Amino acid sequence: MPRILIASDDEFARELVRLALAGVDAEVRCAGCGAELERLCARVLFDMVIVLRTAPFFCGRELIGRLRPEGLRRPVVYVLSWQQCEQTVLALLECGVDQYLTFPVSLQRLRAKVVSDLAVNGL
Amino acid sequence: MNLLLIICAVCSGAAVVGLSALWAVETLKARRQGGFRSVLQRRYLHIVMSALCSGRGAVPRFPMLRRVGSRLVLAETLAGVVSMTYGLDVGLLRQVVARYGLDRWLLRRVRFAQGYRRARYLALLAVLPVGEGIPPRMARYGRSRNRYVRFFALMTRVSAEPLAALRRLADYAGPFSDTEVAEIMTWLRRGALPVAYEPLVASPSFNLRRVGLSVVRQFGIEEAEPLLLRLLDGEGPYASGTEALFTLCALHRPLVRREVSRCVARLSPSQRRALMRYMAQCSYSPQVLSRLFDDSESAYYDTIVRSYKRCLV
Repeated sequence: MPRILIASDDEFARELVRLALAGVDAEVRCAGCGAELERLCARVLFDMVIVLRTAPFFCGRELIGRLRPEGLRRPVVYVLSWQQCEQTVLALLECGVDQYLTFPVSLQRLRAKVVSDLAVNGL
Repeated sequence: MNLLLIICAVCSGAAVVGLSALWAVETLKARRQGGFRSVLQRRYLHIVMSALCSGRGAVPRFPMLRRVGSRLVLAETLAGVVSMTYGLDVGLLRQVVARYGLDRWLLRRVRFAQGYRRARYLALLAVLPVGEGIPPRMARYGRSRNRYVRFFALMTRVSAEPLAALRRLADYAGPFSDTEVAEIMTWLRRGALPVAYEPLVASPSFNLRRVGLSVVRQFGIEEAEPLLLRLLDGEGPYASGTEALFTLCALHRPLVRREVSRCVARLSPSQRRALMRYMAQCSYSPQVLSRLFDDSESAYYDTIVRSYKRCLV
């Protein structure tokens, strides 16, 4: 069963996305955005990580490098945030984020994208 | 004398102990209340999402709704779901609001609250799918001295009656601030109203022009360029020339034009510097500047481009 991690310090947003993915055939876990996210990713190889903030990617810690072991395409990294500045989105995609969605987000669309990405990766 | 001193010491000691105990009790109470709110919100969110995902359209039951503060938690939960998503079954949410009388309850809270607290309740009303009786009651709050109250009263009316939205936005007294425009954009992105940018940008209303320019910027509508060039020539306190100039930059359009030069010449020194910072952020070449600014000002641009600040401005 594929494993999905939802990371956010905002409990409400985290719970909302978790409930939106309730119908997906996957093990969904939640974590805070900081050390907890890195600790969990170091212990478990997730198939997808959904981060609900952009700040962890711009703190100079090379988050993608820590989430995704070298030579692997997993985990697929999604970022959901309120920011829509072109530079921010481009910077995120350049540093290795696979998908960027802005709030307000369509939960059906998010679910469909998650299912399709997991299927593409053969999970 | 000694006895008096002992009595004073004992009294002050008792007061310190009493106040500490009171503080500890209040802290524990607040923590417990916060924990209760958090648990209740999670439970309500679960119920709302289950109802929305099931697609049966039945209005769910929410436990403990008679407890103090529970209705506010429910209103905040629904508002959170609506503001962070789009494409949900609004009919079901409207039924939940009507069944539990959340709109009428919030309206009562608005009536008895003051200042920012009133604005907060209005902000919740603006997001919830409210009944038909609510918008006409917002008229009195639209005349409030508090800017936030005025704006969220407007947003409540606009959200409840999307067909009259543009007229209401145009009639709003005073220019919108940047954050207010951002709030309107968030509302538009939830798909509340199909918007054509042209009538907005060409509108005689300053507020509608601001919203229109924001739409052009956010969606990168390059076809709006002729309209933006026309706006550059506008003068006066409610002209949108400066904002149209920034929008052209955001679209990465060529700036070496007569209209742009005329508009830049009218800017104050601080506005010119702000424009240069924005141009640096949009990655314009320093060569473009030599046609728009004199050498002393161009040197400022060079310092931004050469320094780490380019990433921060």
